[in-house]
Order: sequence, then structure tokens, then C-alpha cells
Amino acid sequence: MKKHIYLLAAFFGLGVGMSQAQVQKGSVLIKNATVLTVTKGNLESSDVLVENGVITQIGKNLTAPAGITAIDATGKYVMPGIIDAHSHVGLDVVNEASAPITAEIRMKDVVNPQDLGIYRALAGGVTISHAMHGSANVVGGQNATLKHRWGSEDPAAIIMQDAPRTIKFALGENPTRVHGRGNGIQPRSRMGVEAVIRNGFNEAIQYKKGWEKYNLAKAQKGNILTPPAYSERLQTLVDILDGKIIIHCHSYRADEIYMLINVIKDFNIKKVVFQHTNEGFKVAPEIAEYTMGASVFADWWAYKMEVYYSTAYNAAILQKNGAITSINSDSAELIRHLYHEAGKTQRYGGLTDEEALAMITINPAKQLGIEDKVGSIEVGKQADLVIFEGHPLSSYAVPQMTFVDGVKYFDRKADKEDQRQFVAATEMVEPIFLRANEEAHRCMQDVDKYFEAFQGAFMNGKQ
Amino acid sequence: MNKQFLKAGMLGLLVAGWLNQAAWAQSDPTGKRRVTSTYAITNATVVKAPGDPGSKATILIKDGIILGVGASLTLPKEAKVIPGDSLYVYPGFIDGAGTMGISKPKEVERPKDFVSSTPPDEVAGITPWRMATDTYSGASTQVDDWRKAGFTLSQVVPDGGMLPGKTALVFLGEPKTTNILKVNAAAAANFRSSRGMYPATLAGVMAKFRDIYQNTALVIEHERMFATSAGIKRPQTSPTHTAFMPVVQKQLPVLFAAGSELEIRRAIALQKELGFKLILMGLENYESVIGVIKSSNTPVLIKLQVPDDKSIKSQKAEGVTEATKAQYSRVKESYDNALKQAAQLEKAGIPFGFSTADAKAADVQKTLNTMISNGLSEKAALAALTTNPAAILGISSMAGTLEKGKLANLVVTTDTLFKEESQIKYVISDGYVFDYEIKKKSVKTEAKPEGAPNGVQVEGVWEYSSETPAGSSGGEITLKRENGVLGGSITFDDPSGAGKATAPIKNASLSGKTLSFEFDVAAGGMSLTVAISGEINGKIMEGSLSVPQMGSFPVKATLSSPSQAN
Repeated sequence: MKKHIYLLAAFFGLGVGMSQAQVQKGSVLIKNATVLTVTKGNLESSDVLVENGVITQIGKNLTAPAGITAIDATGKYVMPGIIDAHSHVGLDVVNEASAPITAEIRMKDVVNPQDLGIYRALAGGVTISHAMHGSANVVGGQNATLKHRWGSEDPAAIIMQDAPRTIKFALGENPTRVHGRGNGIQPRSRMGVEAVIRNGFNEAIQYKKGWEKYNLAKAQKGNILTPPAYSERLQTLVDILDGKIIIHCHSYRADEIYMLINVIKDFNIKKVVFQHTNEGFKVAPEIAEYTMGASVFADWWAYKMEVYYSTAYNAAILQKNGAITSINSDSAELIRHLYHEAGKTQRYGGLTDEEALAMITINPAKQLGIEDKVGSIEVGKQADLVIFEGHPLSSYAVPQMTFVDGVKYFDRKADKEDQRQFVAATEMVEPIFLRANEEAHRCMQDVDKYFEAFQGAFMNGKQ
Repeated sequence: MNKQFLKAGMLGLLVAGWLNQAAWAQSDPTGKRRVTSTYAITNATVVKAPGDPGSKATILIKDGIILGVGASLTLPKEAKVIPGDSLYVYPGFIDGAGTMGISKPKEVERPKDFVSSTPPDEVAGITPWRMATDTYSGASTQVDDWRKAGFTLSQVVPDGGMLPGKTALVFLGEPKTTNILKVNAAAAANFRSSRGMYPATLAGVMAKFRDIYQNTALVIEHERMFATSAGIKRPQTSPTHTAFMPVVQKQLPVLFAAGSELEIRRAIALQKELGFKLILMGLENYESVIGVIKSSNTPVLIKLQVPDDKSIKSQKAEGVTEATKAQYSRVKESYDNALKQAAQLEKAGIPFGFSTADAKAADVQKTLNTMISNGLSEKAALAALTTNPAAILGISSMAGTLEKGKLANLVVTTDTLFKEESQIKYVISDGYVFDYEIKKKSVKTEAKPEGAPNGVQVEGVWEYSSETPAGSSGGEITLKRENGVLGGSITFDDPSGAGKATAPIKNASLSGKTLSFEFDVAAGGMSLTVAISGEINGKIMEGSLSVPQMGSFPVKATLSSPSQAN
């Protein structure tokens, strides 16, 4: 009997594997490096053995099994692949800005594995990014956790299929501007934002009840209850209430952070991470107690009213108060040097090397629910690794090689001039590779276009 | 003022209607009604299907049906005989999906209480109940152009938003007859979002597609309950759900426009998730997804156009850096690969068809020959024009090959189909014969062209089109300078019936870049003088066409064959 179940499970597992995209897994032996494990201290002159995408041994004087390449990393540092908990790299669409709640939107639908930003992130040692919906809506779309397997043609092959579901929420000026001021609907104020969330969850509870009632009734003889309407929007909110989805909430001010903490307490939701969280230092104990922490900028602020009250000590204060804290990019430019951003917590807050590196490795892994798989160098974990020349927290650090699942996707010595995956047959103008607004936030991408369109309509309607 | 216009318009309609009536009720004073619907093309080389080497035979058709193909057919007396001794006969081409003759539906007015997060379906481009036939005109010049290129049947796709409506199968037959073969062939879909309202992005479109699909399934269940038992709440089915029911019930395929590799993957992913029947149209870049297409068994209609070579031609050989040269080579590689894609589909064993949407009818021969010179077999090319689209559209029993009992859709050429010098002499669609002039080979002479003051080339044949309230019209302008005087002729849609009329050009002059001339049109016993004036830039002329008492309308012309005169 047991054997049958085992066989069945194996068969099922095989089936799933075949239906999903082919994911490449590699083997490699990195020799004689300073290994910064992040969770288990630093190991001098040590080796890391990777077999079939998984770290199988860490120690001194390991020998490469037959067929596995050894890389001499003498004098170099190896750290876990950097994880960016807030990014919009690799997405064709960022904002479906047209409604205050768009929980049915899936960023996995619009992943573009050919975005050059992925390669640039790899060159900065980033192996995983959290590709998020934008912040135009109170409840935005469901995000995608990406593994930077550069060169994959299939979007499914760069989506981290074993990562849990996450969703974007947004408080404050962005949703009130787009929907309230721009469109004349709720929310027009921070109170409105709270009302939209509470109404959404309450509606979801009714939705769940409606379906439960129908599912019970339809099995009965002589049932006259007809099926309720299907709504992936409400079903997603139900899944949040059921603890199946981690909320990642765009936020700045302490009052609104505290507001959301009250809301999740009322609805018994445990899985919330705050994003940006510039005033997080004011409510750090509350964040530590009730949430999965905060993902912040090292020192970026004053780009709009709600982001003035800020400090570069924010990350350190949150961390010292026991909140899980990560440092993110929200930018295709910042993503290339998150190790510098992490280093700033040492200048502003005096964090240790390990605490600073945790901000861009194991802590974001915890916030994405993947800390059992990645985020540190431990036997059994997925082999996402970066080899640095110089200590990664030094301002002279230069990433040399980046591995995802043991496969090398970036090598500074073998860096092609032209990394584009797709070149149009009709391309006339020599391409300009840098985007002028690369340093800007992409949180509000696609919103301007939307705004223009509907303001035009708004004006027409008035005439 | 307005009223007067209205009256004038009504009068015009009445007169037109009366003229039409008269034309048909009496003994056809136009002389254009056909004498017989029975035709025989005798002793031609008949290629019955892709792969058939062709053999001498006579083909007899009547009332739009093939009565027989063979060497010893008895021809009825009423058969009009077309001597085919030097001609080749092929099955008429089938356009898997196109937009010829389709006009954009009127934009729907937004309701007063419009909210962009919950727009009415119709405003948001969700109109699956619309019919392509409602916006289709068989008299469009686009239809003429594609027929001239050998097409006899098309699946026309309505214009609109993410779910614009149902496609229809139409003949490219005589415009005055009903040319519909099937009104409800597929539900058209694309990744087009709505401007400034939900769904405003590709992500929104995919979510909305799922929503419509899932709710249609529930509505079907609700309606079933309502029909079978008492005491059931009345279903309030929306037009969208009603129209989408056959899709959910897998009776009607979804015809998804997907040009790029990512769009192709996204459409196939939706199909896998929901389980509907899928046909992809308009594929342009698909090299890397051929395996995905193959393994998902998705029928595909690739765009009947290869990328233009402007970017390749503009690459400079000298004075560029090594980096630029490297970029050039990547564009060249991409271009070369694009030309080979069709051949790769064949190699993978995928029986693809073509889609004419966004393609140019004038380029068909060039496109096919390019695909063939890049590895596509002639057999596969002919199959993509005939049997494959017939199979994809579910009409193999009536179209795609030349056999007794099948629809009389034929293409008659002067040489074997894919020879460069081969020209189309006749296209027969729905049993109607369209006769085309054969262009004589231009004899190249050593002499230099003259008569091009200011470097403006005006002599030659111009293809023009103009937009008038009566629809688009067009024809050819032939200009020639004789003894220093500019003159020639112009063809235009005959106002007294179908076909083209020709008139001599008068008062032609070229000053600077501006060409102007006049010509006379006889209509209903009256003669009107029409003036065309436009500016020439290279091979393009843009200007206006003015008709007395009617106003002026934009006209555009392209110098299709510049004369190499004297």
C-alpha cells in the first residue's frame, strides 16, 4: 500500500516536472575562497561543492568528482546570490492602474525573460528578484519571484516555481492620486485606502461563504441554488485571508503602516511585509511583532511629500528592534549594486558584516518565503552563488561570477559586448542601451499612459 | 442647411436605388451580367492538390461547383470555353485570417456614469457577439487586391478590442452577390488592451479573458438548471457570455492574434489553463517557439509577409566602427533567420496556413518566392495556400483541392505557380471568373531616362487610392511625355457598375514637385471633370482629388513601374 502511494507520488512528481519548463541545473566546485555563508559565519580558504544545482558540501580540500569543473577562487569571496525583494525587472507590464483592487492580475503572465535588466542584475550578483506589480492600486496584482536564468526563452523557466504566492498592496499618495484625485472614485484619502482594504476583505468573506453554500447545496437532490459569479479578484483576497499569499505593501508613513497592522490583526492575517517603509523606524517594534518585517531603501527619499521624514538609519533601527529587514532596489540601476546599498547600514547604524549581508540575502529570502531554499550558503540549499573580487561590502568590490542553480550566467571575463536575446530583423537605428529614466522608480510605470488616456476622456465627458 | 443636405442625400440614395433596380429588371443595359455560369478551362495543366505534378486536363465548373476534372469531359452547350492550352490551374488560395474589406466599427459612446474601473464590455473592446459580416464589404479595393493575388476565400476578422467578435468565411467572389460561406467561424481575440480603462494592459487582458471564460462556464450551468427544473432564479446572461458559450463548449475556436514569441507563448498558456480550441494568427517571430507550437498541437496562420530589407540595405560598408559592424551582423542574422522560419515550420511537420492581416497583397509573389528560396518546399507553400488553411478552418470537404463536387475556386497562371515570371491570368472564386491583364515583359534598353525635370520622376504607372464618402477607390494613372507634352490615362471604379473605367488625362502639368491634371467621368448621362493635384516625393505622390460640388478628398499614389522610356 505504502509502496503504491510512493510510486504514485513519484509519477505525479515526474508529471509536474515535465509539464513545467526545463530548468537547467549545474555542478561546480568553487575552491579556496573566503566563504561568507551569512547564516553560519565566514569560512577561510574553503571550498563549495555544487552538484546538480544544489550545494552538497562545504569544507576544506574538497576534490571535484569526475566531470565537475573546479574554479580557483583563491583570494576571492563567495557569498549567497543577492535577493532583491522589490524589483520590476523582467516585466512587460508593471501597473494595471485601472481599478483600486486588481488582485486578479498576475505578473507571471507578463514576465519577459529577454529583459536586459536581468543580465545587468546578474552582473551585480543578484540571482533572485521579486518582480512586483506597481503601486497605483490599493491592492495590486500578484507578483512573480524570478530566478535570473539568463538566456531562457520561456518565461516559466525564470519564474521560481517553488516560491510562495505574494501580492502587492499600496498605501498613501499613489493610490489616492490615481483613483481619488485622478478618477474621482475611492480612495481619495488615507482613510479611503483603509476602507478599500476592509471592504475588499469583507466582500471576500461573503464571496467565500457564497461558494461554500453553493458547493454544499449542489450535491443535494432538488437543489435550486445557482452558482455564484466567479471572481479571481475576490478569490485572491480569500487566499490572503487563508494565509496562502504574502502581502508586500508599499508604504511610507508610520500612521498608515500602523493602520495596516490594525487591519491585518482584525482579519487575522499574519503574512505581511512592508515595502519602502521610510518611517518604519517610528513603528519598528510593531513591525517586528506583527509582520514579516520591512524591505527598505538604504538612503532614498524626498521624491514626494510622504517621503520626506526619512533617515539612512532606518534599516539599522528596524533591525535592532528585531524586525526582519531587507534592502531593495525598486530600480533597474540600483539592482546592480545592492552590496553597496547594504554596506551603507554599516556607515549609518554600525551593523556587522553578517547583519549587513543578511539585508540582501537571507532576510529578503524570509520575506519572500524562500529562506529554506536560498539566501545563505548551506548544504542542501539551491546553489545561487556570487564570487567577488574584494569583500562585497567594500566599495572596491567587483562581482566576478554569478551562479543560479549551479549554472554560471555571468562571468566578468566572458562578458559579451552585446547581450541582447532578441534583435529585430528590421532594426534601423543603432540601439541605445541605456534608458534615460533608468534611475527613476518603476513603481508607477504604465500609469502616465493610463492617466493621459482617461483624463482625455474625463475632459470630453465634461464638455 | 443640414436639412438640405439630408434631402440631397436622400435623393441621391433614391436615384441610386432606382438605377440599380432598372439595371436588373430590364435586359441588363450595362452588358455586364454574365451570359452563363458554366465554364470550361480546356486542355490546361491542372495541379489538383499540393504535391500533384500536374497533368493536362479540362476542368468544368457550373454554379460555383466543380463538375469535373479530366481528359475526356463532355462539355455542355452553355459552357463558356476558356482555352487553357498554355495555362496552369491551381486550387484557389485560402486566406486563413485577414482583415480585407473590414472597416472599423463605430466607437461606442461612453455612458454618463462611466467609471474606468468597471466600464461596460462594449466600451472596453469586449464585443464577442459582433459579426465580421456587419463591417465587411466585398466591394472593397482590398478585396480586389487580394483576389488579384489569387485568393478566393478568406476568414475575415472583425476589428475592435480584446474580443472584437466572430469571424466569417467569405468568398472573394462577385461583390454584388452574397459571398458568405460561414458567418460564425471563430471568436477573434487579441492582446489589445483598452485605453484608459479596465483592462488597460496586457496583464489586465489576460485576467479579463479568464474572468469571461470562467463566468461563461457558470452561466451555462445556470441556464441548464433554469431549463430543466422549476424554482430556479432567472439567469441574467450578458451578451458577452452568450456569445462566448460556444467557445467554452469547445464548439467554436478562439482565433488569437499573436505576432511575437511571447504573445504566442501567452496565448498557448491561456489555452492550456482553460482548455478552449485555439488557432493562432499573424505570427511574425516564432523561430524559438516552433517546439511549443508543435507540442501543443496549435494550428497556426503565419503572416504572409517577410520583414522588409530596409535595415539590411541601409547598413554601411565603410566608415563604421567594429561595434556597429557587430550590431549590423546581428540584424542581418535576425533577418536571415526570419526568412527561414516558414521552412522551419515545414521541417517540424507543422501544417501551417497564412494570414493576410497587415500584409500587402502586391507582395504575395515576392513573399512566397523568398520563403521558397529560404528552404520552404513548393509543395508546402501551395499547401499553406490551400489544403492547410482548409483543414484549419474545417472546410477540407469543400475547398483546398480541385476535385469534382468542390467549390469552384481556382487560380489560373501563365506558368508554374512559383516561377518568377508566372502571372495570374484568371482567378475564379465562387464560380465567378475574374480576368486579369498579362503584363508584357519590359524590354530593357540602354537609353537613359529623360523628361524628369528637377529630378522628379513622373512618367510611368502610378497606383493610386482615394478615400471618398462612397468608400475607398483607386486605380492606375499612366503618365507619358510625348513631344514634351505630358499626357496619359487613368482608370477608376466605374460609377455605372462594377469594374474599372478608363479616361484620358488632360491639362497635365508638372511644376516643381507638384503634378496636376484633370479627367472626365461619365455618370448617369452627365459628365464631371475631376481634378487631381499632388506633391511628388520619390515614388510617392500625396494630394487631393476634387470633384465639382462634392468637395475634395485625399489621394495617394505610388509609382509602381517607372517608365524606362527612350
